[in-house]
Amino acid sequence: MIQFSQVTKRYPGGHEALSGVNFGIEQGELVFLTGHSGAGKSTLLKLVAAIERPTSGVVSVNGQNIGRLSRLAVPYLRRNIGLVFQDHKLLFDRSAIENVMLPLDIAGLDRRESIKRARAVLDKVGLLTREKANPVSLSGGEQQRLCIARALVSRPALLLADEPTGNLDAGYAADIMAMFRDFHQVGTTLVIATHDDRAISALGGRILHLDHGRVEAVAA
Amino acid sequence: MMAWLRHQKHALGGALGRLRAQWLGTLLTALAMGVAISLPAGLYLALGNLARVAGDLPAQPEISLFLDARATDAQKQAVDARLKQPDIAKAHFVPRDRALEALAAAQGLTDIAAGLPGNPLPDAWIVQPKSTARDDLVRVADELAKLPGVAETHLDSVWADRLQAALEAGRTLVWLLAGLFAVALVAISGNAIRAQVLARRDEILVSRLIGATDRHIRRPFLYLGALQGLFGGLAALGVLAIAGAVLRGPIDRLASLYGSGFQLAAPAGPEIAVVLGLTALFGWLGAWLSVTRALHQVESGR
Repeated sequence: MIQFSQVTKRYPGGHEALSGVNFGIEQGELVFLTGHSGAGKSTLLKLVAAIERPTSGVVSVNGQNIGRLSRLAVPYLRRNIGLVFQDHKLLFDRSAIENVMLPLDIAGLDRRESIKRARAVLDKVGLLTREKANPVSLSGGEQQRLCIARALVSRPALLLADEPTGNLDAGYAADIMAMFRDFHQVGTTLVIATHDDRAISALGGRILHLDHGRVEAVAA
Repeated sequence: MMAWLRHQKHALGGALGRLRAQWLGTLLTALAMGVAISLPAGLYLALGNLARVAGDLPAQPEISLFLDARATDAQKQAVDARLKQPDIAKAHFVPRDRALEALAAAQGLTDIAAGLPGNPLPDAWIVQPKSTARDDLVRVADELAKLPGVAETHLDSVWADRLQAALEAGRTLVWLLAGLFAVALVAISGNAIRAQVLARRDEILVSRLIGATDRHIRRPFLYLGALQGLFGGLAALGVLAIAGAVLRGPIDRLASLYGSGFQLAAPAGPEIAVVLGLTALFGWLGAWLSVTRALHQVESGR
């Protein structure tokens, strides 16, 4: 599903975030990206979602060459990818359920159908009772779950999560990891960047360890 | 198709909601646009009214034809016959005695007319040719002047020509002003929309990340610009309506002093539609320019 071959990403200013990275991720896999901060985990996820383009090498997602993707094609790629951000990127000018409905509005889904699907996914992340709440009034863990709900509402085949438990205490983090395990079990491909070792040992899955922009180890 | 319609409806509803939520800003922008547009639109209306005044006056060009005092009856009949040709709309004979009476009746000239030893005035025709085009008038006047027994012809169109030329210059000025104010409208709209885009930076960034196309992001802002332009057009019509109401009294008084039944004409339906259509269009254009530029800025993180 995801294929990196000889991928290098150099940012303007000369910092090389990834150097000659090679790996592949199959459909339905659960992969953890580990490594110290600045090792290139976020850059790797951004390359998959076409938020950044590789300086050299080929990133291919579902057979599409991301480096060659036109600006017009990028939105359609992203609609098949659920993105979970460490800082949530929620919109505070609307209610929780409207945040979740945003991807469906963008896809042009019927409003009633959107509400139905948003409620279903809010139920799954345990926020159905807070659907009318403004995200500001939610706790950090709830905001993260809302972000996950928004990433999942359009039923993407691939979910990318960048430090999804980074700011959360252990209890919330375990909840969220348990949720990811459920999605993995229904066939979603997950790539999770984290340095939460407990989560990794709890869920299993493959580990892709990055060190200074290079893939150090691919442990099962 | 259904999704497309839903997108339009969603964007239109969002734009209306936003305009209502920021009603003060909407009102001020509409006023700024309205005042700007009311200048060329008002001048256009003023010219239209002026042209109607001109139309009430004998702007229909006339040729005065003076017969030679020694013209024979046969020559007079030949002139008479020529004036019955189809290129003449109307011809009206003024005998010299009648001309003298008219002169004597005119204020202050009675004494002069009475003091004249004989009647110095010639027989004359007042001729209205069918075609009022400048070239045709000159041609007919020349042709009539060459008839035997005709002393001279005089083309009474100079005044009308000048008025028409002045109105023409005024109309050109209207288009020039309209062009300038259209640019101003685009600028006002663009500026208002730019502020909106920057205020919704987060929404744009998040929408891009979860798969919104440029068109999807632009759409609500384009509706916003078009609606804002439309409100500007309505404001301009309001300004004109107020100006018309204020001017009506003085103009009626002026017209009655001239013994004229002239009244200010309001803009017609199609003119109103054109003003609203154009303001909406230029509001849209300003929004398009602004949002396209702002999108690139937002995405490059500046």
